[in-house]
Amino acid sequence: MFVLGVIYENCTGCHLCELACSYKHGGTFNPLLSRITILTKPEVQTSVQVYCLQCNDAACERVCPVDAIKRDKSGAYVIDYSRCIGCRECAYACPFGAISFDFKARPIKCDLCGGEPECVDVCPHDAIIFGPEEKVSRELKRAKATGVAYGIYGGAESPYRRKKAEEAENFLREIWKRNEGLEL
Amino acid sequence: MSALSEGESEILFIDLSRGKAVKQPVKPEDTKLYLGGRGFNSKTLFEMLNGPIDPLSVENIIALGNGAFAGTALPMTSRLHISTISPLSGILGDGNAGGEFSAMMRYAGYDGIVILGRAERPSYVWIEDEEVEIRDASELWGMKSGELVDTLRDEHGDDVSVAGIGPAGEHLVRFATTMVDKYHAGARGSGAVWATKNLKAIAIRGTKGVEPADPETFYKLSREDLEYFKKSEFVRRIYSVIGTHYGMMSWYPGWKYFQSHLGPDDLPEGLRPRDFAEFEVGRTQCYSCPLACKDVYYLPKSGEYGTSSEFESIYALGSNNGITDTEAILRMEHLADEYGMDVITLGDTIAMARFLHEKGLISDKELDGVSLEWGDAEGQIELVKMTAYRRGFGNKLAEGYRNFAKLVGKEVLAYSYDVKGLNRGWYEVDFMNGIFTLAHATSTRGADHLRGRSWAYWENDVNMDPEAVKRMLEAGLPDYRKDPVGALIEAERACTLADSLGRCKGSINMWFQAVPLVWKYPVFKGTAMLLKAFTGMEFTEKDVVEATDRIYLTEMAINVRQGIRKKHYDVKFPPELAKTERFRRQVKRHWEMVDEYLERRGCDVETAYPKREALERLGIGKVADAIDGKDFPEWDGPPLWPLESYPGGE
Repeated sequence: MFVLGVIYENCTGCHLCELACSYKHGGTFNPLLSRITILTKPEVQTSVQVYCLQCNDAACERVCPVDAIKRDKSGAYVIDYSRCIGCRECAYACPFGAISFDFKARPIKCDLCGGEPECVDVCPHDAIIFGPEEKVSRELKRAKATGVAYGIYGGAESPYRRKKAEEAENFLREIWKRNEGLEL
Repeated sequence: MSALSEGESEILFIDLSRGKAVKQPVKPEDTKLYLGGRGFNSKTLFEMLNGPIDPLSVENIIALGNGAFAGTALPMTSRLHISTISPLSGILGDGNAGGEFSAMMRYAGYDGIVILGRAERPSYVWIEDEEVEIRDASELWGMKSGELVDTLRDEHGDDVSVAGIGPAGEHLVRFATTMVDKYHAGARGSGAVWATKNLKAIAIRGTKGVEPADPETFYKLSREDLEYFKKSEFVRRIYSVIGTHYGMMSWYPGWKYFQSHLGPDDLPEGLRPRDFAEFEVGRTQCYSCPLACKDVYYLPKSGEYGTSSEFESIYALGSNNGITDTEAILRMEHLADEYGMDVITLGDTIAMARFLHEKGLISDKELDGVSLEWGDAEGQIELVKMTAYRRGFGNKLAEGYRNFAKLVGKEVLAYSYDVKGLNRGWYEVDFMNGIFTLAHATSTRGADHLRGRSWAYWENDVNMDPEAVKRMLEAGLPDYRKDPVGALIEAERACTLADSLGRCKGSINMWFQAVPLVWKYPVFKGTAMLLKAFTGMEFTEKDVVEATDRIYLTEMAINVRQGIRKKHYDVKFPPELAKTERFRRQVKRHWEMVDEYLERRGCDVETAYPKREALERLGIGKVADAIDGKDFPEWDGPPLWPLESYPGGE
């Protein structure tokens, strides 16, 4: 089973996923029509990602009075608009707020782009990942473990970022060396 | 949907004196001629002002423009361009800030907001799509940038974007900035203009989105550009890790008022990228940017969070003042954001004061007990506050750089390394084949690095992708080693273009960033393809180049009306050096380059006025009507007010 996961530590809040999503689903750039929403937390400029988790036991599917929500072979719960009556009950039932309304009072939700999610493709910082369960699970563990090992969760003096910056300094010197005698 | 070609976006004129908002549709032909953003702003300023004006008078206007590609998935297109007549320099004062405002403008259906007149009482403007409301802001007046944004988000929703001013703007500090979403500063001096209009903020929310004329092609090109940055090793391992602290290693920050410059191996502890990384708790960026060039930092001593401690703030507030205390520099940078002040002018003005004090040109008596010892970090934090509120010695510093020097005494002006009132350090003409000094001289807002300088020699591009630079040179990009004037003109075009598209020129200044797809379709072909796909109008590379030239000459004409003449394209050195043969020769070379520049730009070599024939060739002969044969009072900075007449001034 393929799943979509978010490593929230990697997200910098650039909103490119929202623009890609709204384009993919309607040819327009509008974050309000995106199936994934990035809420920016103003105090520290960190972000919370709101997106469909494609629950195994999905509240949206259960509450739909006309059975318009069905799981497709990519694992996504997809709304069949030929049945949908636009009651938006699914949006109210979703425990994660992952179903939005479009401007015609219809619910819209993530359909995993039929198995090739565009948001995963555009994300510049590998914050959104998609793949077999065991791979996503492994990636998540690795990201969290790196954080814990380098103390990015709490602890004032974190060696993690200093080390990364030092590596950047060194890499820049490497580039200078590489460019010595460059003929342009 | 708001696509430029359909004339569905509007320019919003807000007349605060009458309490009225008027909307005008954007004409497709204007998009073709001026693109948007800086182009629209400069056109508006030229048409609506009759110069020369006192920038702090009610006649001044503020133009906000979001740029042609705002709100789209073309990465890095969220710069809000802000233009006015600057209270710091007395000429065109413009600049751009990031954040989400520019995208929100587009989603609300506006490509320009022009602010005129003066409200009777402190006000703010609330915009939600078509609805525009001028509201009472007496509760907001006095608030710092952070509190202002929080308060307006409590009132209007957490997804609104806010542009406004902090206390420095309210106190008419001449280098107060427009602050967007707390941390993004633009157009030094514009903050004071907001205050003269009794305007504290604009909060905006848009719901409409934007649809290109040819979405498929536009998205395909945008993705191509995005992938280029995502795949770059330079971006992943340097840009997105240390952001503009890269500059500390690469751009030779000034030390103690430009008395020397620090190379990568001279950086004292406290000023290296790794030292700043210790305070970092996250990374962020502006809307639609994949680069994460901005750090989010936490200051344990004061318990504050701040964002984007950029190279400029570190050199101006830090090294140029002999300060190496990392946390203190971050604190000052954060305070400058909170008060809404430009860090370069702030830091360099204080550095100049220290230098003059050391030389005995400022006496202890004038200081009211303020310390001007090099490296006094705690003292400087105090000075930053005093400047924002115009208290004591801060009242003089608040006049800003050249104006401050003028206040100290006419003989001191020789130490003000400015061109047209803006400062960017001093350099030898021989350095980089003259492009630094020429770029500072020809910039239409006064000396700085973002009008063309850094692009004329593609220094940072070479570090990211030397092969692409080769392709650009092969495609006809002039080489500064053979044709410095041509290289600068092309670089000025790139910057004018970026500012008009709403595209970021790069916090590490690069062609790859300023000009979309330049790495693949050099030089402006990629831009022409994107403009065509977005607007549905025909756009050739020649159209793009001509649009940037049109904008640049219009800006020159704005400055002509503010009294700028040929002599103001000058170059400055420390007075002791200027007398020597070595430097006299360099001055001569500088003026030769200026002559060649003016000639090639289509300006009169004697007066530096844009020539009628050049303007007519670009289809803007009306600009010539306004300046031809006319004489305007010679520029000598903005008119300075008596110090006690400023709000809070002591």
